Amino acid sequence: MTCASAFILRREDLVPLLEELAETLEVVAPVQVEGEAAFATWRGEALALDDKNPLTSPMEFFLPQKEVLFRYVQYSGRYTFSEDPPRARLIFGMRPCDLRALKVIDGIFGADLPDIPYAGRRRSTIIVALNCTTPGEGCFCRSMGSGPGAEGGYDILLTDLGRGYLVEPGSSAGVYILRAHHRHFEEADPGDIKEKERLLALAGDEIVTRGPSLNPEKIREAIDGVDWEEAGRRCLACGGCSLVCPVCHCFSVLDQGVPDGERLRCRDTCILSGFSRMTGGANPRAALGERLRHWYLDKFVYIPEKTGLFGCVGCGRCTRVCLGEVDRWSLFKEAAE
Amino acid sequence: MKMDRSKMGTVAEGGTRTGRAAGVKPGSYLPIQAEVVDIDVESSNTYLLSLRPMDEEDELVAVNYSPGQFLMVSVFGLGECPISIASSPTREPLQICVREAGRITQGIMAARVGDVLGIRGPFGNGFPVGSMRGKNVLIAGGGSGFATLRSLINYIADDREKFKEVTVVYGARTPQDLYFTSEYGSWQAAKIEVGITVDMMDASWKGNVGLVTSLLAEIDPSPGAAALCGPPMMIRAVAKDLLGRGFIEPEIYISLERHMKCGVGKCEHCTMGRYHVCTDGPIFSYDVVGDLI
Repeated sequence: MTCASAFILRREDLVPLLEELAETLEVVAPVQVEGEAAFATWRGEALALDDKNPLTSPMEFFLPQKEVLFRYVQYSGRYTFSEDPPRARLIFGMRPCDLRALKVIDGIFGADLPDIPYAGRRRSTIIVALNCTTPGEGCFCRSMGSGPGAEGGYDILLTDLGRGYLVEPGSSAGVYILRAHHRHFEEADPGDIKEKERLLALAGDEIVTRGPSLNPEKIREAIDGVDWEEAGRRCLACGGCSLVCPVCHCFSVLDQGVPDGERLRCRDTCILSGFSRMTGGANPRAALGERLRHWYLDKFVYIPEKTGLFGCVGCGRCTRVCLGEVDRWSLFKEAAE
Repeated sequence: MKMDRSKMGTVAEGGTRTGRAAGVKPGSYLPIQAEVVDIDVESSNTYLLSLRPMDEEDELVAVNYSPGQFLMVSVFGLGECPISIASSPTREPLQICVREAGRITQGIMAARVGDVLGIRGPFGNGFPVGSMRGKNVLIAGGGSGFATLRSLINYIADDREKFKEVTVVYGARTPQDLYFTSEYGSWQAAKIEVGITVDMMDASWKGNVGLVTSLLAEIDPSPGAAALCGPPMMIRAVAKDLLGRGFIEPEIYISLERHMKCGVGKCEHCTMGRYHVCTDGPIFSYDVVGDLI
């Protein structure tokens, strides 16, 4: 392998490459789980790369729905604690929107008092991103500046060119992997780079022409003008939007087991009525409309203040799952460009 | 889940750390262990627990905090909740004042001397004692909110000459609900004016009856810095009263209570608008949170 900066991976070489990587790493990739594409530990099954981005985001592998923070064992009234070390993992097929979500979460869980479990997983995860040449129907990443092409944050970036994948390393770990598995790669030529740019431009245009594009700055302004009480009447408070949002990161902590057991961290959401309720019963955000408003304020005002990035990446998942049609299209019509 | 007890105190497989917690590593969810060394009954449903970190390396936790900060306190098997520190860093031992409110506080109150609780922290910003020095200080508490103020009062009492006039006003529901009654004398001895009131009197009560604001009318404290903690209704009333007396919004500090799960600004339970009460607070000045409380 030479010092070229872009390569071609033939389609038929993809699975053998992943098999090699899976010998030393846990490989996570989009596969069919009960009829729906989802990120899961890959065990050789068919990859679901041609589908739209899975409804469940790969953020699951950085902030799991449920994880053991530590185990406690009591002996003579004193406790012994143990934690699981993070696993060496490779996430294959992460889309640019989810990559942006990771960058946002880095600004929250990786900053100030860094979250140790998150930081550990972040360090031990290799990211193989996949540029989005087939955006889904509800996607608006172009409005949020998070896609369809990835800009940094990956170890290796793939673009599906049809005859094969264009492969570009984005970190020293990525370069190392390409070198270690060099027999699967051949040098790309300048025409391949041009083809990538053409496909991404097409995808970007498709996103724009299919539906109205949104101006996040206008959403920020529009939040105050929304009738949140009315929106609250349509919302079923199911929390589905937060469950699929790659940026949502609220969690709860609970213990299981006496005298020995484990302290678990589970995903939670500020949409649920008990989220802010204190033991005494006082609830600072008792009304559903207030909680919905906070959900949007956090993504479009507070998270940007903290991280410099919008807390929405335009993946469209919240709208895909919403049962009450409380989505950004109906709430922020005036923010459409 | 089961673990092999013969491995206690040794390093088990898989990078497991045994024997003790990681101390106060920021962002870690592992608590340190603290022994309950003393329990005082403050009221029918409130205990004052004295804690001593069990490992030498963690002993600094017992003195390395500011008035107004809080701990995440664990009862293993029940969970963890935020409890404000009731002692002053100028005096050992470390103390927390716990009122029976839910499962975890019940668990803490069920602890006996010699039992072990988990603690993480200290968390939060604490009162800006540096900028209170050289000023008059008015401390106003209501109900269980008085616990965190006791930390500040004892801190000031131990460094009394650095502050000008210091006034404490405190209200509780009934005379039986008053905390730290044995300490009022020592505060007065340290030239701290102390005003106490209750909502409902009983046969034995000879003191004031009414709201904390009625004490303010009586004492007429000189403007300066103010530290407030109590129910939102009381906070609003006291802040409004103080503003009328020439106190200014940036110098009225309010300690807020919120549901919390992490203490380190991640879980989002304690958010209040753009602020995290756990890391941006729990002490906020009135100009910042006046319209949010």
